[in-house]
Amino acid sequence: MAEARITYHGVGKRYGKLWALRKVDCAFHAGEVVMLIGPNASGKTTLIKSLLGLVSPTEGHITVNGQVIGSDPAYRKAIGYMPQISQFPATLTIGQLLEMMADIRELRADEVEDSLVEELGLSAQLDKRLSTLSGGTKQKVSAVLALRSRPGILVMDEPTAGLDPLSSQRVLQRAAAVRDAGGTVLITSHLMEEVESLADRVAYLEDGNLKFLLPVQEILSSTGSTRLSEALPRMLESNALSHVL
Amino acid sequence: MLKVFKYTLIDLARNRFVLGYALLMLLVAQGLFALEGDPTKALLSLVQVVMALVPLIALVFTVVYMYDTLEFTQLLAVQPMRRSAILGGQLLALAAALLLAQAIGLGLPLLVHSPTVAALVLSLSGSALVLVFAALGALIALKQREKARGVGVALAIWFLFVLVYDALLMWGMFTLSDHPIEPFVVPLAGINPIDLARIMVMLQVDLAAMMGYSGAIYKNFFGSVGGTIVAALILSLWVAVPVLFAFRVFRRKDL
Repeated sequence: MAEARITYHGVGKRYGKLWALRKVDCAFHAGEVVMLIGPNASGKTTLIKSLLGLVSPTEGHITVNGQVIGSDPAYRKAIGYMPQISQFPATLTIGQLLEMMADIRELRADEVEDSLVEELGLSAQLDKRLSTLSGGTKQKVSAVLALRSRPGILVMDEPTAGLDPLSSQRVLQRAAAVRDAGGTVLITSHLMEEVESLADRVAYLEDGNLKFLLPVQEILSSTGSTRLSEALPRMLESNALSHVL
Repeated sequence: MLKVFKYTLIDLARNRFVLGYALLMLLVAQGLFALEGDPTKALLSLVQVVMALVPLIALVFTVVYMYDTLEFTQLLAVQPMRRSAILGGQLLALAAALLLAQAIGLGLPLLVHSPTVAALVLSLSGSALVLVFAALGALIALKQREKARGVGVALAIWFLFVLVYDALLMWGMFTLSDHPIEPFVVPLAGINPIDLARIMVMLQVDLAAMMGYSGAIYKNFFGSVGGTIVAALILSLWVAVPVLFAFRVFRRKDL
């Protein structure tokens, strides 16, 4: 296994009396795609947000490329993030937004990967105001923002929600390319069929606990299934889970 | 910070609410100067409008804008940039957009119809109120998770400063009129930025006498250079304190 790029050390997060994450210990490696799954309010988003610096863990810490993440935001230069809901300044155009984010990330021209703009059909819409875009087009813009800096770590929260099948496929291909280039990709999705071919490992969260983090092959073989979308429900319903824990 | 400021300002420059604010102020100011024959009377009417409308618009607009851009703020917060730079850029842009709208809507008619010191003080006081209430609006939006609750708190604060505080102050002054209350009048006026701004303008129109006994006390204190500096310092504190708290809240906030 490649070196750990992201490591959670006993990370817990409490909102009031509710623990959204409980003492999560895990590592995500270079050159892998990890699919984060779990029921609603299981802690997936909090797990992601604590990595992105959007929430501060109540306990424990996270390291990225060996550095404990804290108040220095520099580590986020390596991260591309595609949120589930995309909302942008209403009166800016797509072009202005891309320029703004490149400016903020201090990207040089040779660091920018803009072929996805063309691939997702956004080239002709660069002068369109963001307020006039459909939800799907906003998701495409969000995908471009996440991928155009060629991130070493890619975090995607429900990346295919609202995208047409062709665009979904293209975005997931790009995620695979990040993995193939030695990057780490974390994806949450309820549409398992769409992302299962991409995943190398699956992390299952429930009530803030990381129940398991297993290679896809192990999950398939332990349930005798050929597809993850069949194996996981079977695994969760049966005692197979206790076998692998 | 300057990058966030630049693009937020570009966004705000085309914001309908900001453009509407400039137009509304322009219509009100032009209307009052057209209706009143005497520019001083028009200026006095304008003072009342500015003291009520400017805080309301700055407060509510800032609160609503901060909530409406929360998801984009999250996206900015995952970039390699400090949170203080994000909030600083956003607040500067909000203040600049509102001040620019006010300069067009209020400043231009004042310059054309009443180019006096009083008009200049009204313009400056109005600008100070924009900054004070935008700062308070930012703090409210960051402290309250729900938009409806945030707007409710903003309206309650506006109501408190515009109406309730004055009513309580007047009631107190009448009730305690037999007691030596002079030492308390000036500090009590200073607590409310709207009252302070109004006093500064009224003193320039030399209508402090119309404010009665308290007007004489105000004139005695705020009419001096030292009093003006104190007033400016108090208004600066009204901006600085909420802004500092807003930065503190935003740095620790779970987004």
